Amino acid sequence: MIAMFTADGKLAVLKAYFKIILTYRGMLLIHGIRLLLLPMVLASAWLSIEKTAQNPYSDSDYLLYYLLVPVIMNLTDSRIVFKFSLAVKDGSLNRDLLKPFPPLMGYLLESLANNAMQLFYLLPFSFVFWLFVRDRIVLSHLEPSLLLYFLAAIVIGGMARLAVSGSIALLSFWIEDVTTLNLILNGGIWALLGGMIVPVATFPDKIRYIAELLPYRYMLSFPIEIFSGRLAPAEIWQGFATALGWIAIFSIIMRLIWKRGLKTYTAYGG
Amino acid sequence: MRQIAIILNLWKATVIQAMEYRASFVFAIVANFFDFVFGLLQYLVFFTAAKSIAGWEADQMLVLYGVFMLVFALHFILLYPNLAAMGEMVNSGNLDLLLTKPVNAQLIVSFRRISLEELGSIGTATLLLGWLLYRGVIVFDIGNFALFGVSMVSSLLLVYCVFLLLICLAVIMERLDNMSQLLWSMFALCRYPVDIYPDRIRYLFMSFLPVAFIATIPASALLGRSDSATVWQGLALAVFAVLFCSWLWRRAIKTYTSAGG
Repeated sequence: MIAMFTADGKLAVLKAYFKIILTYRGMLLIHGIRLLLLPMVLASAWLSIEKTAQNPYSDSDYLLYYLLVPVIMNLTDSRIVFKFSLAVKDGSLNRDLLKPFPPLMGYLLESLANNAMQLFYLLPFSFVFWLFVRDRIVLSHLEPSLLLYFLAAIVIGGMARLAVSGSIALLSFWIEDVTTLNLILNGGIWALLGGMIVPVATFPDKIRYIAELLPYRYMLSFPIEIFSGRLAPAEIWQGFATALGWIAIFSIIMRLIWKRGLKTYTAYGG
Repeated sequence: MRQIAIILNLWKATVIQAMEYRASFVFAIVANFFDFVFGLLQYLVFFTAAKSIAGWEADQMLVLYGVFMLVFALHFILLYPNLAAMGEMVNSGNLDLLLTKPVNAQLIVSFRRISLEELGSIGTATLLLGWLLYRGVIVFDIGNFALFGVSMVSSLLLVYCVFLLLICLAVIMERLDNMSQLLWSMFALCRYPVDIYPDRIRYLFMSFLPVAFIATIPASALLGRSDSATVWQGLALAVFAVLFCSWLWRRAIKTYTSAGG
């Protein structure tokens, strides 16, 4: 009975977030263009390079990779760092704490609603991009099991990003400005070693090894690598295990920070 | 002259205001420093899997990055705070107040505020370029340096045009947030040389959407790879664009019927 009630409550909150996000349609459009622009620049750059010897990617690989980057970036995105630090600063966290609803659940639902709506505004652009390059992309290797792995990897990637971002966001209890920390841990390293600037599979072995150990690869590069059919099932499972390990670690960290932070939190704003 | 004195006084006021929040000022400088470092690392990482990009070697890409950061930091100092404040200014009706004052509204709207947070980036970019000069990647040559100077002027004028277009858009739409996001999207196009694009897009970037002249052409001039005709063509284009955008601004103000209140 109680479980049913909470389930219903979540659905209602999720619907509310969808409506809130829909009022900012213009922003979604601008953000969609932004998501697509840098990957397209990078795709052009990679198509015009002189390759190093150990680089395994062909032009077709690069095109498919950067066609999918905006989609994965969108689906694994989380705005908890900005939302939560704002809630601490302006005191709206006080209200959330009083509600009979898990306070952090709201951020998960907000991410879900936002990413789903954003996808709606991104796919038309991606489709046009695809039309221009479709005869240069090879998709014949796709099979149902690969797509299942792909979807699972996206969900896991989104969870990993949420857990890492959430841990940084919760530091707002002590640090007034977490955006710099976020820029380094979540923005910079993510772009460098997660597969934004360089597809992880094309790194020299040593750097690739480090990138595969860090959680960032699983937020962006990993699902695309699966989709491109370049990973053996054993490698896929190994990737899932690594990512789930990181999710477990950061969930525990998040829980610890949340418990301690709530004790020191004295509620400012109003 | 009087306009300049007014702007200088406004700048003084914004700097004093910024100094009230010294901690957040320092934070912003640290954040910008990391931004610069990550921008630099981006190229180093890129070249672990590539030997050269469209004929640009790693060292030459660093020249492009130095030039890019110079333009970006100057825009951030002079234009960005004004753009950020514009949406609110239209929304709250403060623009009406400004239009009634006996000053050149375009100048005041464009240069009312200044932000010194990116001052460090200019220093670091200059250091980077100096180091590249010392290492002989950039060869000292008066002709090249003169062309670089000219192309930097066109670059800044063109960035100003994009800024002015967004300002006009804000006046017409009366509600437009996050315009700086749009401006920064354009800067994403300048981080890599225009030589990477297919012919048709490159032609577009050299003519109707002149992003080539923002970073690629100044960097090429500094490296002695750009012919003077292209550089002067860029300046002509930039001057024409400024005149055109100023005309658009006057049109926009004429049709403006006030908002907020």
